[in-house]
Amino acid sequence: MQSWIEWLRGPGFAFAFTFMVLGLVRRAALTAWEVARAMRRAGDKSLPYRQIGITTLKWLVPLGKLKSQLVFSLTSVLLHAAGVIVALFLGGHIALWARGLGIFWPAIPNGLADVLTLVAIVAAAALVVQRVAAGPARALSRFQDYALLLILALPLASGFLVMHPRLNPFSFEAALLVHVASAELLFVLIPVTKLSHAILLPGVHLVSEVAWHWPPDAGSKVAATLRKENQPV
Amino acid sequence: MADRRKYSFYVEDKALQTTDRPKKFLEAFAAVLQHSNYFLALDAYTRLSTKCSRCAAACQLYQATGQERDIPCHRSELLFKIFRRYFTSAGALKARLWGGFTLTDEHLDALAEAVYRCTACRRCKSTCPMGIDHGLVTHLARWLLSEIDLAPKALVVATRAQLEGVGNTSAIPVPALKDTCEFLEEEFRDIYGVEGVKFPFDVEGAEFVFFPAVSDYLLEPDTLMGNAAVMHVTGGSWTIGTGNYDGINYGLFYSDRMMERIVKNVVAEVRRLKGRKILVGECGHATRSAWFVPTFCGPDAPEVVNCMQYTLEQLRAGKIPLKAQRIEERTTYHDPCNIARAGRITEEPREILKTICKDFVEMTPNRTENYCCGGGGGTVSIDEIRAFRTGPMGKRKAEQIRATGAKYLVAPCANCKKQLREICEDNGLDSVEVVGLHDLVLKVIDFGVGGSGPGAQGGQREKT
Repeated sequence: MQSWIEWLRGPGFAFAFTFMVLGLVRRAALTAWEVARAMRRAGDKSLPYRQIGITTLKWLVPLGKLKSQLVFSLTSVLLHAAGVIVALFLGGHIALWARGLGIFWPAIPNGLADVLTLVAIVAAAALVVQRVAAGPARALSRFQDYALLLILALPLASGFLVMHPRLNPFSFEAALLVHVASAELLFVLIPVTKLSHAILLPGVHLVSEVAWHWPPDAGSKVAATLRKENQPV
Repeated sequence: MADRRKYSFYVEDKALQTTDRPKKFLEAFAAVLQHSNYFLALDAYTRLSTKCSRCAAACQLYQATGQERDIPCHRSELLFKIFRRYFTSAGALKARLWGGFTLTDEHLDALAEAVYRCTACRRCKSTCPMGIDHGLVTHLARWLLSEIDLAPKALVVATRAQLEGVGNTSAIPVPALKDTCEFLEEEFRDIYGVEGVKFPFDVEGAEFVFFPAVSDYLLEPDTLMGNAAVMHVTGGSWTIGTGNYDGINYGLFYSDRMMERIVKNVVAEVRRLKGRKILVGECGHATRSAWFVPTFCGPDAPEVVNCMQYTLEQLRAGKIPLKAQRIEERTTYHDPCNIARAGRITEEPREILKTICKDFVEMTPNRTENYCCGGGGGTVSIDEIRAFRTGPMGKRKAEQIRATGAKYLVAPCANCKKQLREICEDNGLDSVEVVGLHDLVLKVIDFGVGGSGPGAQGGQREKT
């Protein structure tokens, strides 16, 4: 088991993390390229940048959106905030970066990390419950909508057990293995599932607006392609 | 072969005779993705869609029916499924390895039914955490379906009349148009005692070429008289072109290809008359489709001004003299989705109404979050679904109207007005009078002729 952990912490982590970063960079670059191409082709090149910016900021910091469907909104925001803070600012994680690459930054206290981890776990569980309990969400949900929440909760729960051996009913190695493996699985899934909203969300309002800006003669060209130029209405 | 009521709306016979529909639909989809910018949005949306159902809470139809098929995200997924399977490499690979979704006639029928149960009001966009514009998806799906001739007959017939018939959606020939306008000029003399108010035709070099919803010439004489009165007292330079006098553009509702042709006809008329700007009458979708003028015709195309923007500008400049007596009756305002949802025209009408009405009250919610009248996206023209429009689709709007206790319900949109009148008829709101904004402006303009006319407290003029 120890050798598996070592592999996952070494080449496994390097692969998963690089896959995630390159995948997200690729997605961002492709989207930016498509936006630029679309605007080059567009007949109307004016965009309501201010409005796009405001809408984007409102959703990136969705405090003003909480009142609508309060419980769902709150649990969703808590999951995002707590999960990201713990992943980035847990002392143990930063120590790994310092050991591997020599880079480090300030850490949050372990006590706070514990609280945030528990908040994130509860929020993930609450989101599952809400999906099951709410008719519209249950009707829409696919396998991945539940699976991703579970995969998201796994590194949080196993990480908590790693940090608290006395509460851990399993061996330390087993908890650590699950923690590292599930985190790396998450890294791999981020760019290829809906979790890619990590990189796409900041640009989606721009994308929506640009999509309404067609090239001049778009309709005529479609007609020509479909050989319908002279076809009556 | 299915009967003519295969769908909740009538379609033309050719829609029922089209064969090999999935293949033709996919060919159209490929062509549209190639020549438009929709790929960008679909690529992002299909990756982002989280199926959280927040959009359901924003949709007035889902609020009324509680049916899964009326959840905006569910509807969009019908198109996303096709896009993923046939236009993404992951979808193609998945299909090769495991089979799965294949586009069928049944799927297309379900898509058609779904996108015409939606008014494309775009209210749900503001509640989607992922920023998915379900209105855009509905808009695109309707275009694609129209390429296999699957579109409501009412929309197609009107568009045909505009592009290949008399030249406008109400099939009003030029002599009839001129007769109507002369009659309205006489009305100014008879009712208001004012001379010289004109509906000018084919004036070259005018600042504004006027494009109202052409149906206003038949159904909304007070709105048109209000427009003419404002131009008269402000000395506005305007004209109506006899080559094209219809702002309606049903292409917006079912085919970008048709929308482009109609928009280009509008611009051609402005250029023929050497006009400088397009003045759109009280019509939400006419205004929004005119905002696509630079899209289809480039940055040198004429500027687009909605008549409410012009009126407010003149009102602020003190060029519209008003009677001392304002409108006493409680008045409320309905925001047409096509001009308000993106926040483009929300304050102008309110400023005008607060100036001319003593008791102006808001509906709740309003402005960018207002509920659709229930007849948006062209569905108001589909008479066979009236029970649906004024029932589940119009329920929230009826509640909104009732809660205001208003006598005048102002809706600066020909489609909204028709739908709201039907909502009032079908929901027991008999005391509510649906009017255009310029109908009320007309009541309070002081023509300086010694107080003749019905005045601010006068009833509606008799409809012609």
